[in-house]
Amino acid sequence: MIKVNKEDMEYQEGMTIEDVLRRKKYTFRMITVIVNGKVVPKDQYATYRIKDGDNVDVLHIMSGG
Amino acid sequence: MENVIEMKKAHRLLARMDYELGKVDKGYTNRTLYINLSDNTIKSKPVTEQMKEIFIGGRGFGLWYLWNAITEKTKWNDPENEIIISTGPIGGITQYPGAGKSLVVTLSPTTGSVIDSNVGGYFGPLLKFAGWDALEIQGKAEKDVIIYIDGNNGYVTIEEAPLEAVDSHLAAEQFTAMYADSEEDKRNVAVVSAGRGAENTLIGMLNFSFFDVKRGVPRLKQAGRGGVGTVFRDKKIKALVVKYTGVKGDTNGPADKQKIINAALKIHKEIHDLDKVQNRMREVGTAHLTEIMNDYDLLPVMNFQYGSHPDAVKLSSDIFKEKYFTQGLPDGCWYGCSMACAKAVDNFELKTGPYKGQKVCVDAAEYETIAGIGANCGIFDPEYVVEANFYCDTYGLDSISTGTLMAFIMECYERGIINKEITGGLELKFGNKEAALELIHQMGNGYGFGKIAGQGVRRMKKIFVEEYGADPDFINDIGMEVKGLECSQYVSKESLAQQGGYAMANKGPQHDEAWLIFMDMVNKQIPTFEDKAQALFYFPLFRTWFGLNGLCKLPWNDIEPADNGLTDEPAKVPEHVRNYVDIFNGVTGKNITEEELILQSERVYNFQRIFNLRMGYGTRKYDIPPYRFLGPVTKEEYESRMERYDNQLKELGYEIEGKTVEEKIRMLREYREDQYQKLCDAVYKRRGWTQDGVPTLETVKRLGIDFPDVVELISKYQ
Amino acid sequence: MKIVKTKPELCNGCGACMTACSKTRYKVEDPEKSAIRIIEKAEKPGSFDIFVCNHCGECLPVCNTEALYQAKNGAIRIDDKKCVGCYICVGFCPNNAMYVHPDINEPIKCIACGACTRVCPTGAIYMEEK
Repeated sequence: MIKVNKEDMEYQEGMTIEDVLRRKKYTFRMITVIVNGKVVPKDQYATYRIKDGDNVDVLHIMSGG
Repeated sequence: MENVIEMKKAHRLLARMDYELGKVDKGYTNRTLYINLSDNTIKSKPVTEQMKEIFIGGRGFGLWYLWNAITEKTKWNDPENEIIISTGPIGGITQYPGAGKSLVVTLSPTTGSVIDSNVGGYFGPLLKFAGWDALEIQGKAEKDVIIYIDGNNGYVTIEEAPLEAVDSHLAAEQFTAMYADSEEDKRNVAVVSAGRGAENTLIGMLNFSFFDVKRGVPRLKQAGRGGVGTVFRDKKIKALVVKYTGVKGDTNGPADKQKIINAALKIHKEIHDLDKVQNRMREVGTAHLTEIMNDYDLLPVMNFQYGSHPDAVKLSSDIFKEKYFTQGLPDGCWYGCSMACAKAVDNFELKTGPYKGQKVCVDAAEYETIAGIGANCGIFDPEYVVEANFYCDTYGLDSISTGTLMAFIMECYERGIINKEITGGLELKFGNKEAALELIHQMGNGYGFGKIAGQGVRRMKKIFVEEYGADPDFINDIGMEVKGLECSQYVSKESLAQQGGYAMANKGPQHDEAWLIFMDMVNKQIPTFEDKAQALFYFPLFRTWFGLNGLCKLPWNDIEPADNGLTDEPAKVPEHVRNYVDIFNGVTGKNITEEELILQSERVYNFQRIFNLRMGYGTRKYDIPPYRFLGPVTKEEYESRMERYDNQLKELGYEIEGKTVEEKIRMLREYREDQYQKLCDAVYKRRGWTQDGVPTLETVKRLGIDFPDVVELISKYQ
Repeated sequence: MKIVKTKPELCNGCGACMTACSKTRYKVEDPEKSAIRIIEKAEKPGSFDIFVCNHCGECLPVCNTEALYQAKNGAIRIDDKKCVGCYICVGFCPNNAMYVHPDINEPIKCIACGACTRVCPTGAIYMEEK
C-alpha cells in the first residue's frame, strides 16, 4: 500500500510515478511530485519506481479562470 | 466602409469639453473624467492622494466613486447609479503580460448591490493615456448616445448616435472605422459597447475592443458579470470610444523602468520556454481547462449535478485547436501579453439568427463559455459552442450567467417543473442545442420565454414558485446563484474551501476571488478550518489586487517558474508575487512589500463588504449558498458518487447499512451544512469580522477605512 | 543577404564591436546599447561568447504590432513607429540576441549593417551570406 495525496493506493510491483498519475487521472501538467518529502524532477516520472509504503504527494498548482 | 460617414453625419453634438492633455506620472494622470448624461455635464475631477493611498485604482476607484454617488435606496436603473471604468496604476505598461485590464463597477441589476467586472481590451489603458485615470458616468440619456474621448487633440464629446449598430461585433467595427484616420490608425481606437441582449435582459455585459492588426478586425473582450451592460443600455449609451495615438514603453510614466524590464524579460522567457509543457495558454487559451476539469470531476454537467461526462472529450481543447482556433497569431488583449490566451475562430459561418450565413471572426471559446453553455447544458458540440458564444458576445449577454441559467431551466424542464406550454414550445431538455440557441435569440431580442430567462436564476426561482407551483425548497437547492449572481463554471461540492470561495465572494459566486479546489480537494494541503480560513484570507486578497492595478490574474499562476515546486509555498507562486511587487514599485516609485500588497487589497475588500451591507446585504445569511454548492441534492447526484459519499458517511461514524439513498442524502446534508457554517466562523474570525460577517470597528480602524459613514453603518452591527 | 557571423574562438574580448554598434545606432559609445554582446565565459576566463542576431525570423509572429518585419534585403528589422516596447520578442528570441535599455523604447537589435565587423581586430566577426 502506498499513500497518494494522503489516500491509500494499492502498491504494484514496478510502478512508476507516471503509473500513479495515470491511475489517479492526474492529467494536469502544473504539478510537483514529492516522494517521501523529496521532489522528483519531471523528467524522471516515467522511470522513477515507487516502493511499497512510499508517501507520494502530487501538488497541483492552482489554476482556473 | 463608406456608410460610417453617413452614420457620423447623423450624430448630434450634445456637449463638448476641451481639456489640457495630461501626462501620466508614475501610473496616474491624477484626474477622473466625470460625465452626467441627464444634463450633459462633462467635467474633470481630481484624483486625490488619499484615493491613491487607500483605493489604489481600478476597482478601488470604482467603489469609492459609487459609494459617494448613491444612497442605500438607489436601484440599478436610477439615474444616480454610475458606471465607473478604471484600469489602475500598472494598467497600460506594455512590458509585463496581462497589464491592460479595466475594471467596471456599478450597481447590479441582478444582485442589487455593487458589482465589479474585469475585462481586457485597449479601453482602460488608452483612457489613461488620453489623460484620465477613470471614467465616471452618471445619469441617463434620452436617446442613444456615444461618448468620444480624443486623447491626442484633448476633447470629450457626448453625441447622439442614432444609426450605428447596437450589437457589438458591428458596433466595434463601425466606431473603429469611424474614428480611425486610416487602416494603420485603427489600433489606436478602443470601443466599449453592449448589444441588444443587454437591453432585453438583466445579464447584459460589455464588450471592450482591441484592434487585431494581423486579422484586420476589432476583437472583443467581455466585462461579463452582474449586468454591467444592462446598466449601460439603460443609460442609453451605445458606445464609449477613446482614441490615443502614440503608445510607447514609457507612456505610463514609470518611476523606475528597469524594475519593470527585469521582471518582464524573466516572465517572457518563462512563457516562451515553459508554456508549451504547462498550460498551453498560447495555443488554446483557457480552453485547456475543459478536459482537466472533466478528469478531476469538476466540470459542471447538467446544472452542476455531475462533474464529468464521457462526451466532454468532444469539447476538449485539441478539438478547438485543430478545427477552430487560428494558430500562430499574437492573441494578447493588450500589448506585451506573451501569454496571449485570447483565441479566435476566423471565418466562422453562422447558421442561425439575424446574421445567419455571414462569416465572422469569433472571440471564442474560453473555458467558462465552453463549460457553461456547453457541458452544463449537456451539449457537447463545439460548433454549437462557437455559434452560441458569438451570439452571447454580440448581443451583450454574459455567457457565464447564460450557461448557468440555461442549465437551471433545462433541469426544471426535465423534472417537469416547467413544460412546453411555459417555454412557448421550446423543448429545453439537456442536450438540445437547437432549443438552447433559440433561447439565446429570444433573450437577445426580448421575446417569448427569453424574457423570463433573461432575468436570471434568482428571479426565475421566484416566478417558477409563484406562477408555476414549483417546490420552493427544491428550486432553491438547485438554482445555482448566490447573492443574485449566477455561479461560474466549477463544481464546488467536494471542496469546502471552494464553497466558501464562491459563496462568500463579495460580488457573488465568481471564481476570480478564490479558486482553491486543487489545494483543498486534490492536494489536501489545507485540512483544518484554520488552514482553509487562511487560504480564504490570503487568496481573495491577493486576487483583489489585480483588479486594483489593471492586471490580469492569468500570468500569475497559469505559468510557473521551473523551480516553483521547490519553493515553500508553491500555490502562491512566490517568484511572481515578487515580480508584482517590483512592477508596482517600478511604476509608482513606492516601496511596498509583499505584506503591504495584501494590505492594499484588504482595505478595498473590506470596503466592498461594507458596501454590500449598506445596500441591505453583507451579512452571514447572504453568504449561504444553495445546497447544490455543498453536496448532492438528488438521488442521481448521490448515486453518481455513491462510493465517495458512502465512505465519507462511514468515516464520520454514520450508520448507513440498510439506509435508503434519500436518508443518506439527509445525513450528508446535515453534516455538510454544519461544516459550511463552521467554515464561516473560521473565515470571519480570520478576516477580522463579527460572527455575522461584518468587519469589526477595530478592523476598519486598522485598515484606515474608518470614514464617519462607514463607522456609523457598521456600529449598528457590532 | 549578408549577416554577421562569428568565430568566438578568435575573439579577444576587446569590445570594439559593441562600441562601434552603439555609436552607429545610437550615437553613443555604450556597450549597454549595443546589438552585439561579448560575454566572457564564466568557466573559461579569456574565452568569450558572441551573441548577435542571425535573422532567423522567429520573432516575427510573436509581435502584436507588426513592428518586426523582414526588410527587402532579408534582414529582420524593427519599425520604431509601430513598436510599443513590449519586449516579447526579446524573451522569445531563441538566440538571446535582442537587448533592452531603459532609455530606449524599442528592443536593441542587429540590422546587419556590418559596422561591428569593420572594427574587429581578430576576424572573430565578419559578414557572410546567411
